[in-house]
Amino acid sequence: MKRNRESSDVPARRQFLKTAGVLAVGTATVAGTACDVKEPAKLDEPAVARRIGFDRSLLDALAATVLPASLGAVEVRAATDRFVRWADGYEPVAEEMHGYGYADVRYLPPDPSPAWRAQLAALDMLSRKTHHVSFASAKPEQRTAVLEVALRGERGDRLPAPLNAQHIALAVLAHWSASPNAWNLAYGARISPLTCRSLDEATRAPLPLAPVDTTTRRTS
Amino acid sequence: MTRQSDRTTYEADLCIVGSGITAAMMAAHLVEHSKKRILVVEAGTHTTPFAQRTAARERYLAYGESPWKSDHLDDQNAFGNTWGFSPSMHVGGLAMHWGGVSPRYSPEDFRVRSLYGIGDDWPFSYDDLDPFYQEAEERMGVAGEQGPVALDPRGKPYPLPPLPVNHNLKQLQQWAANAGIAAWSTPSAKNSAPYAGRAQCQRCDTCYPVCPSGAKYSPDFTWDALVREKKITLLTDTLVRRLEADASTGRITHATGNRTDASGAPVEIRATTFVLAAGFVWSPHLLLLSRSSAFPDGLANRSGLVGKYLAGHRNVNAYLRLPMELLPGINAQHSLVSKQFMRPGRQSRYLRHDLRIWESSVGREPRLRSDDGTLLLGDAMLQDWQQRAKGATARVRAYYDVLPDRESRLDLDDAHRNRFGDPMPKVAFRDAPESAALREWQEESLRELFRRMAKAGNGEILRMENSANDLGQEHPTGGCRMGNDPQQSVVDANGRAHDHENLWVAGAPTQPTASCCNGTLTFAAVGLRTAAAIAAS
Repeated sequence: MKRNRESSDVPARRQFLKTAGVLAVGTATVAGTACDVKEPAKLDEPAVARRIGFDRSLLDALAATVLPASLGAVEVRAATDRFVRWADGYEPVAEEMHGYGYADVRYLPPDPSPAWRAQLAALDMLSRKTHHVSFASAKPEQRTAVLEVALRGERGDRLPAPLNAQHIALAVLAHWSASPNAWNLAYGARISPLTCRSLDEATRAPLPLAPVDTTTRRTS
Repeated sequence: MTRQSDRTTYEADLCIVGSGITAAMMAAHLVEHSKKRILVVEAGTHTTPFAQRTAARERYLAYGESPWKSDHLDDQNAFGNTWGFSPSMHVGGLAMHWGGVSPRYSPEDFRVRSLYGIGDDWPFSYDDLDPFYQEAEERMGVAGEQGPVALDPRGKPYPLPPLPVNHNLKQLQQWAANAGIAAWSTPSAKNSAPYAGRAQCQRCDTCYPVCPSGAKYSPDFTWDALVREKKITLLTDTLVRRLEADASTGRITHATGNRTDASGAPVEIRATTFVLAAGFVWSPHLLLLSRSSAFPDGLANRSGLVGKYLAGHRNVNAYLRLPMELLPGINAQHSLVSKQFMRPGRQSRYLRHDLRIWESSVGREPRLRSDDGTLLLGDAMLQDWQQRAKGATARVRAYYDVLPDRESRLDLDDAHRNRFGDPMPKVAFRDAPESAALREWQEESLRELFRRMAKAGNGEILRMENSANDLGQEHPTGGCRMGNDPQQSVVDANGRAHDHENLWVAGAPTQPTASCCNGTLTFAAVGLRTAAAIAAS
């Protein structure tokens, strides 16, 4: 039986992890606090040597397909950079948080990046087979068609936690969607979840964002 | 401290076994109210220091890594129905990563037999505990507001003003009022203003599991101060494995154990008074491990009740869609609380429960496919999310009181042993027959309450679920229950063992029941009551 591993007093861990991008956005609304939003601290010395990085031209093409074009090319590029740093900074099989109610100590999954790199290469192969063009050079609608095939069967009612994404396309999308910036855009206000800031401001509604046109801008 | 071959002997007036929140509160009290030399013995070591918690939080958020390093011993764990138990074994204990939620029990919790004819009364009343609740709240720094006096009696105001009822909770508070429910800011051991040298809360929303600002109370703050001021001696990496009692007098003469570092060296501790403040698992476990020819069933066990009457509570939880606009992330771990249903008055059938209300983002998150199965990528995904984000989801949750059976128990499990060969504890919760008979009706009553609340707000239930049910219980207590009758209890009303005049058990393990709300504040208050009795003895 799979256990719910959370105290009933706190939000589900998945919700925390879905907000993983908080580490990467650097858009804290209050500067200079002890717990300001930052990149995750890097490990001094990884426990096991790992291959890191991705084929950047393929990854950029993927990000341009799955992330909102309305972000603009610069922000899509920055979000992709953050994804790469996040994936590279992962420590496989580190201890998971155990809290109320769990006697067993559990460990994080193996490094997902090798599979994600292979999937990225497979997107390129599929694009060449079906559209006779590399994934990086394919038109947006061709890349979307390739992803339709690659993501067939993936659960649709939610995005996974980035670390649990079974496909790199989902990982990139979920990583961005977990960021405070994404939540701000979705809710149209500067809500910036998991960002430390003044307690007193909690009684006021967060400031609204300027409307963003999600219908016209494209990044590729 | 003396050494003989590889054995080290420590001497003190008072030895506290365990360094969790109850131990920290007690030590802070005792250094102010006695001149005893206090030795605190902790099996684990120091976990992530305060200066590293911001970085630890970042990696927790990024990957789910535990922010608490070296916070358990791999071979020291409990088995069985362990929901409600944590293997945390380090300076500060589980309260290093608690959520800080600090409600009091209600007066009824101390008199369920007298009022409702079921369960057992405690050997003291809510009013007796009130000053110790106050002391615990002041030592931790609890931010709270008193609810309606009839629902939330207390002798003095909270030491800190409440955490703000934020933009979301204001709307939910009005909804609750429309449903006939008085709800207010949940009392929390988080600084609503700077307090005791610690910062004001910055609503980072990772109170559980790690507060990066220090606004949430954790026991390391108390230990650091007591050690710095040389008020106590804190002996870490030392597992107490046995208490030795004089066969004729019953007095505890010394404790023995081993270092949990690589040396594994033996340790002996001689003290005038011993206090077990090691929680509901390790306190009875140590008493059972300490069996001898004179005490074949373990120490303090004339009644046969050491390890018995493990108590806790369960919950029913629901998510509701409501016609209002809530924005997630404002202070998501903070909630409203109601004690209205903890004081129900006369009842034909017994049901007492708390009620908590949170904002939630359930049902308002991004997704991969639309309802018709279309893949959502890029701006299509964002537009879909923006539509889903409109409106509001509320989460409501009620803990309900579960009365323990005598055979709700902890035993020694020979199948699992630590490096020293000691059998580990095995726990098996069991409801008292009267609780088991009520369970289905109680849970349906809570679901019906949530349906009524949804209707009162013109909302709808998204989903409802029960807690982990038979995997264990939440905020567990018991194993060394207190009482006035030595045949029906392990310790007296002050926590002193009936069978050993210089042995005390503190906090959670002594409680006859576990109420229907978070228990940590009460564990600490009960521990402080014991500390006061020790200081006076």
